[in-house]
Amino acid sequence: MVGKGEAPAPRDPEEEEEEDTGGVVKLISAEGFEFVIDKKAAMVSNTLRNMLTSPGGFSETRQGEVRFPEISTHILEKICQYFYWSLHYSSGQETAEFPIEPEITLDLMMAANYLDT
Amino acid sequence: MGSRHFLPPATTQSIVPTVAPMASATGGELRLVDRCIDAAARDALTVEAWRRQRRSLERLPAQLADALFRRLAARRVLFPSLLEVFKWSVEEVDLSGSLAVDAEWLSYLGSFRYLRVLKLADCKNVDNGAVWSLAGMNTLKELDLSRCSKISDAGLRHIVAIQSLEKLRLSGTKLTDNGVMLISSLTNLSFLDLGGIRITDKPLRSLQVLTRLEHLDIWGSEITNEGASVLKAFTGLRFLNLYWTSVNHLSVPPTMRCLNMSKCKIHSICYEDSEAPVALENFIVSEAEFGNIDKVFSGIQADSLLYLDMSGCDLSNLYFMEKMKNLEHLDLSSNRITDDAIEHIAKVGSNLKYLSLKGTGITSQALCVLAGTVPNLTSLSLSHTKIDDSALAYVSMMPLLSTIDLSHTSIKGFARAEVNADKILSMSAFEHLKYLESLNLEDTPLSAEVIPPLGLFAALKYLYLKSDFLSDPALHALSAASNLIHLGFCGNILSSSGLLQFVPPATLRVLDLRGCWILTGDAVSTFCMRHPMIEVRHELMQELKANSVGRSQLKARQSQQAKAKVANSFAGPSRLPNIRFVDERIKYNKEEMMELQNLVKPNSVMHGVRLPPELRRLT
Repeated sequence: MVGKGEAPAPRDPEEEEEEDTGGVVKLISAEGFEFVIDKKAAMVSNTLRNMLTSPGGFSETRQGEVRFPEISTHILEKICQYFYWSLHYSSGQETAEFPIEPEITLDLMMAANYLDT
Repeated sequence: MGSRHFLPPATTQSIVPTVAPMASATGGELRLVDRCIDAAARDALTVEAWRRQRRSLERLPAQLADALFRRLAARRVLFPSLLEVFKWSVEEVDLSGSLAVDAEWLSYLGSFRYLRVLKLADCKNVDNGAVWSLAGMNTLKELDLSRCSKISDAGLRHIVAIQSLEKLRLSGTKLTDNGVMLISSLTNLSFLDLGGIRITDKPLRSLQVLTRLEHLDIWGSEITNEGASVLKAFTGLRFLNLYWTSVNHLSVPPTMRCLNMSKCKIHSICYEDSEAPVALENFIVSEAEFGNIDKVFSGIQADSLLYLDMSGCDLSNLYFMEKMKNLEHLDLSSNRITDDAIEHIAKVGSNLKYLSLKGTGITSQALCVLAGTVPNLTSLSLSHTKIDDSALAYVSMMPLLSTIDLSHTSIKGFARAEVNADKILSMSAFEHLKYLESLNLEDTPLSAEVIPPLGLFAALKYLYLKSDFLSDPALHALSAASNLIHLGFCGNILSSSGLLQFVPPATLRVLDLRGCWILTGDAVSTFCMRHPMIEVRHELMQELKANSVGRSQLKARQSQQAKAKVANSFAGPSRLPNIRFVDERIKYNKEEMMELQNLVKPNSVMHGVRLPPELRRLT
């Protein structure tokens, strides 16, 4: 199954973006669902930031996509929401807490741990 | 190599500012992992929700499992059968102080496959039968049963079956000589704490076979000089605690670095077969007596000492310190030393970081001698001494000071150059101390006019004030202290309106108002509502808390109100809360009147009047 999920774009993207933070990346869940998010959002994850900024580049990131065979779609969606929430929160555009439903806490914890975020 | 084209030096530099805020966004704020752990341990219902999803947390990495376990334990939502899910993941368990832990808990913990560390200090319901479950745990390296007062020799028989143990704490248990003898079979032990157990010389001899032992704690034991003579045979021993024993003559192995002989009567310390002085680094001899102090210290290599605690030793001179030029920590509190002895500290002051002269007979003159000789001092205690404001100028010449204790002195905060001259604020001298983080001025005769300079100390995080003379303006002056985390403002004449007008620094987390007896419960609770991030300490807090926690059905309503109030205080700090305040006061008085007349029970009052729970005073 291949679907296409767009996480909400940030409200006002920077006018002039660095080559390293600009553009988008595609995150692919265990089920093959694709999330296209801003590179800037993906960098909230230390793991992804290392992948995207390391000089040689990981083979998968060079094509702008990262596969997560261990992370299911609904968890990856939540992760993407967190990336944007985190950006907005640190810039002061968001003051509400990030909601975490009890049922997904453990899976989300493991994914977050893997992504170092 | 081709990658260099993408990152020319110029680009690398320009990346820095874009990365830095990102780092603070993820590093400064809570990480998602921590948010998840927090969410998973929120309450029993949450636990039930994720537990239904999985029977076991097998795939959870150990550090996550440990963190989650810790959080669940701290929130007291752990229960025996829930332990089962951690069987394959947790490596460290600390349930110290939990009275719930009993045989049933330990039967689950005993089956944990990868457990390395188990801390059960002060778990009073852990008994001999309970520790039977631990007998087969061959991964366990560290076990803490300190002050588990139901553990005796019978329980230890199960413990010594855990051959993998490297660290074992048994202080304050009911062990006897016979039990301690069994420990000799744990040959992997490097750390053994037997503090407070009245063992005699015989079991100590049996422990000689523990050749890996580095740390031995036998404070309060009945070891004699003869028994202590075997200690030199512990060839790896680095740390030894003989606090409160009758050992006078001690010969130590060459590895010995840290020795605690507090409350002992000390005659000599030496190596058995060498005349060389003992190379101790830490020597703790609080409240000790010395046969001949010069002789004792001649047995210790002066320049190896880094840490010396001689508090309460009744010292009057400090000749023996002459060559201790590497000292970093020196505690001379509660001794009879006076200004004359200070020159000996000055001579060895170049590496000192910590100095306590608390409760000694020194005056400001001593600081005059010390100034300039202790360039590395970060912590200084002068509490309970006869110093006055003239000392502050000398203290301000110790550039790295971060902690200063001036409590219980006659510091007034101002000095006069001559009689009838204008007051000079002496506290301003501390403005030069750019690392000053903690300042204790409790029980000094400060007046409100000298408080404003304190607000200007840029690095100040902890400030303790306790006096009968300070009032509202003093507290308000501290709004300017931009890094303050903890403010003690105890026993002062602070009014309720004064508290409510106080604009706390944004960094403040603890406001200690104990002994401010004029404050009303209304004022304290209103302040708490407006500043939910600040932990307020006051005699009335317990009542206020008891009222809000006591009845769970009201909890939700209370938190809603708390949120509403927080929202209000953000929206318009002055108008709405004030209206509420007046309104609540009327209700509060009404309730109190009804209680006094014993007309109705507080509970039914609650339902009838719909009083905000945080304002009820039941006692």
